[in-house]
Amino acid sequence: MRNKMPEVRDQKSAMGSPDLSVEFAGIKLKNPVLTASGTFGYGEEYAEFVDLNKLGGVIVKGISLKPLSGNPPPRIWETPSGMLNAIGLENPGVDVFLRNKLPFLRQFDTKVIVNIFGYTVEEYAALAERLDDAEGIAGLEVNISCPNVKAGGMVFGTDPATTHELLTAVRSRTKLPIFAKLSPNVTDVTAFARVARDAGCDGLSLINTLLGMAIDVRTGRPRLANCTGGLSGPAIRPVAVRMVWQTAKCVPLPIIGMGGIVTAEDALEFIIAGASAVAVGTANFLNPRATLDVLSGIEEFLALRGVKRLDDLKGTVNTT
Amino acid sequence: MGLNRQHAAEIISHSFIGRGYYRLVLRAPDAARSALPGQFVMLRVSQYLDPFLARPLGIYSIPSKSSIEIVYRVAGRGTSLLTQMEPGSSLAMLGPLGRGFPAVEPGATPVLVAGGSGFPPLHFFASRLRRGGLSTPLFIGARDRAGLPPQPVLASFRKYGAKISMATEDGSAGVKCMVTSILDDYLSKSGHAASSVLYACGPRAMLAVVSRVARDRSIRCFVSMEERMACGVGACMGCSVRSGTGGFKRICTEGPVFEAGELDWSS
Ligand SMILES: Cc1cc2nc3c(=O)[nH]c(=O)nc-3n(C[C@H](O)[C@H](O)[C@H](O)COP(=O)(O)OP(=O)(O)OC[C@H]3O[C@@H](n4cnc5c(N)ncnc54)[C@H](O)[C@@H]3O)c2cc1C
Ligand SMILES: Cc1cc2nc3c(=O)[nH]c(=O)nc-3n(C[C@H](O)[C@H](O)[C@H](O)COP(=O)(O)O)c2cc1C
Repeated sequence: MRNKMPEVRDQKSAMGSPDLSVEFAGIKLKNPVLTASGTFGYGEEYAEFVDLNKLGGVIVKGISLKPLSGNPPPRIWETPSGMLNAIGLENPGVDVFLRNKLPFLRQFDTKVIVNIFGYTVEEYAALAERLDDAEGIAGLEVNISCPNVKAGGMVFGTDPATTHELLTAVRSRTKLPIFAKLSPNVTDVTAFARVARDAGCDGLSLINTLLGMAIDVRTGRPRLANCTGGLSGPAIRPVAVRMVWQTAKCVPLPIIGMGGIVTAEDALEFIIAGASAVAVGTANFLNPRATLDVLSGIEEFLALRGVKRLDDLKGTVNTT
Repeated sequence: MGLNRQHAAEIISHSFIGRGYYRLVLRAPDAARSALPGQFVMLRVSQYLDPFLARPLGIYSIPSKSSIEIVYRVAGRGTSLLTQMEPGSSLAMLGPLGRGFPAVEPGATPVLVAGGSGFPPLHFFASRLRRGGLSTPLFIGARDRAGLPPQPVLASFRKYGAKISMATEDGSAGVKCMVTSILDDYLSKSGHAASSVLYACGPRAMLAVVSRVARDRSIRCFVSMEERMACGVGACMGCSVRSGTGGFKRICTEGPVFEAGELDWSS
């Protein structure tokens, strides 16, 4: 399963294949393709299909301080070129993650970014501290699309002041690079990107899912037990590309772009819009090898265009 | 290991077999070699992005060393698109997936219960039973005659030694009652009630009653569950059902077959 095959050097690489490595926020990735949180488990689930050594990085399923059992079923609903999910952030908690999940990922030559969330500022901060000195973590991705129980359940990431408080607290408790995972459910995403920069974040991840809802017209009941859920998949890609573009123009932080990436062309849209790296999410469900297909497609595109480094393509959207 | 569980599976044959069901034979050598009754595959019904998710379908039988057979009911847009796929074309397939039925222990009498379109995994299971000429009771329930398995399926079950009893809610075929009543009746009268082990697949409401029947009689019961599913490999946590001990279990990897007592049937 994980045997290291000898590197096959084909003619193309002998002639000098494009440089796919990217470096940002002090993290050096061998290529720009990561997995989006919650769509690739803890790597184990997909290791049979994907040689994890080939990935730029794995962003793991969201982790909280204590285990969470998640929402009642039904938790998902298929939509046109996408899906709604209301998993409820089911996860085994940070202790089990460190004991049982992280050691598996450490075996691979890939960067591990841990997605964290909580229901109070203190939970987030304590979690960041807990992960700070764990071996084998390249960075933290802070999911700010969570309800703040101390503020009547209002979502952290939709209020600039709470976002600032939250990210500042996380910043003060870890030396790891932190990426704020921004919510698209706001009018002006760039305002939150600036807040993240001011709070000392090293990078941004965008976008998280768009809040949605579907109803069974025969019964009048919502399709999800939770009523609303997060929309993901190709259906949201134009929104994601737009937000990456807007943000990259005005906030000088590296961006991990995501939202509906299925093919290399999809991924390249994000890079051209200004993202430094991309994460493949829901597409893993359709094709467990989606990340590798995206990766080889990017490489082919660059080679064909004679682009030497992926970075040369970053933010090159031509609006003239 | 060394099993290839993700590949394009060529359609070897594909035909309508009655009562809304199609029979689909796919070239899938690794699945044919390794699949256990109760396991399933995920099939993409379109190479495009709408319908979006792959469809979970149980394995009905292993017709040859290199192929698997699926029997599916046209239930919505995905399965109706699937009917148009021609032999020679290929479908993106993932599988075999999940945990199947445990083998029948020596001395135990397997009793099969199928509701609605829940028969495919039980058919594969029946095909693997080696009971030395002993017949295996199979209870089939449906709303009406049209909801019963198609004739070729019933004939195949009989070939594998199934002794079929049927119940329909409207009485248009078999006994007019719920399938769980004829099951309960059988268990009351049979000399084998104590050694019986139930293997059931069908709508959740039926499975809830079957599991209650088993609990009341202190016999073992295995159920195969269905829930909406996205990844099929335990990553998305979308297909969870309530566990009997609190929390949830994923149908795709911890199931689809569960011992009835593992689950919470209250809601
Ligand atoms: C483990 C497992 C094994 C199954 N085996 C078989 C089988 O052998 N034969 C068979 O005919 N059917 C089987 N089903 C049910 C089958 O998956 C659905 O009938 C099918 O997905 C319907 O797709 P559709 O696009 O036609 O319907 P739509 O209603 O349009 O589907 C919309 C979405 O809901 C999902 N969905 C709809 N009904 C079900 C259901 N009952 N269970 C899970 N997801 C559902 C679809 O997969 C899709 O994502 C199985 C389900 C599971 C979970
Ligand atoms: C089933 C599912 C679970 C997810 N879980 C998380 C999570 O735990 N934390 C998080 O920050 N984002 C989570 N996401 C959001 C994704 O990481 C990603 O931001 C979003 O789905 C958009 O990308 P995509 O369209 O490529 O999936 C989840 C998405 C899905 C579909």
